[in-house]
Amino acid sequence: MADSVRESLVESVPAAVLHGEITKLGVTHVLTVPDTHQKSLLASLSADASLTLLTLSTEDEAICVNAGLWIGGAEPLVIIQNVGLFAAMNALRGVAIDMRAPTCLLVGQYGRDVSLPVEANASSAVRLIEPVLRAVDVPIYRIDREADVGVLSKAFEQSRTERRPVVVLVSAPTS
Amino acid sequence: MKRVEALEVLAGAKGEGVSVATMRAIADWHALGGAPDLSLDNRGCMGAAASLGLGIALARPERRVIVIDGDGSLLMQLGGLASVAGAAPANFYHFVLVNGVYETSGQQPIPAADVIDFAAMALGAGYQDAFEFDDAAVLRERLPSIPIRRGRY
Repeated sequence: MADSVRESLVESVPAAVLHGEITKLGVTHVLTVPDTHQKSLLASLSADASLTLLTLSTEDEAICVNAGLWIGGAEPLVIIQNVGLFAAMNALRGVAIDMRAPTCLLVGQYGRDVSLPVEANASSAVRLIEPVLRAVDVPIYRIDREADVGVLSKAFEQSRTERRPVVVLVSAPTS
Repeated sequence: MKRVEALEVLAGAKGEGVSVATMRAIADWHALGGAPDLSLDNRGCMGAAASLGLGIALARPERRVIVIDGDGSLLMQLGGLASVAGAAPANFYHFVLVNGVYETSGQQPIPAADVIDFAAMALGAGYQDAFEFDDAAVLRERLPSIPIRRGRY
């Protein structure tokens, strides 16, 4: 697990590469409140007949529907953006953490200046998401470049084996 | 109609369905036998019942899913009405117990308690049907005849 702030710059990851990783995981449902950072990935997933892409009104709902799907035996994945995760903290706590519902979240670092390290970004959503997640004991992975996409499978498996929320931050907009 | 009277009717109709109950309805639901199995209690996240039920309904389309919500709870995730309507699960039954107050915190009135219309909001969000009942006998009589359509209330 990489949970310290990196100084290096980040690179865009092709949507097709991330989509391929999601396919390998056997994901049945992707739950989203659309993320500007991952719009090319969402467009790619919307054309995939092997899974259901469901847009919810709020990120709270995405986390709760994820739990319901898991209870029913499905394999959901949540795709949202950083500001949405801030909005959904009560569902993250009350459902994903307290109900021990496996919850893997692919979270775009919306608003990030990719030429700057995280801590130098003007956006508080970019700067504070990792400290806030650490405060509520949620494991964090980062996809800073294409070589990092394998962390998604690690995070997905960890969310299932440990029955907890796990966040994968997507540092640059997908291409 | 008292809450326990409504829940008694619903418990009798649950059958092999899955229930998701929330907040103050949970204790009554258990006491009335609505939750011997295939039941989820939502205590930790007010407003989450419909979304939890939606997920179960989508994963298990062969099961009837009964969500027992509260008016104050539903207001906390009101956008969930649109999410349910958009997903349109044919096995989703959303019951909202309307008492106009936040019961656990001291009976404070919910916003617009005197004028709010949850059935109208459900229909406006895209639910196919919405029904209002204020008499347990009428609820008991009409419940079996609610048409099988998508996104019910």
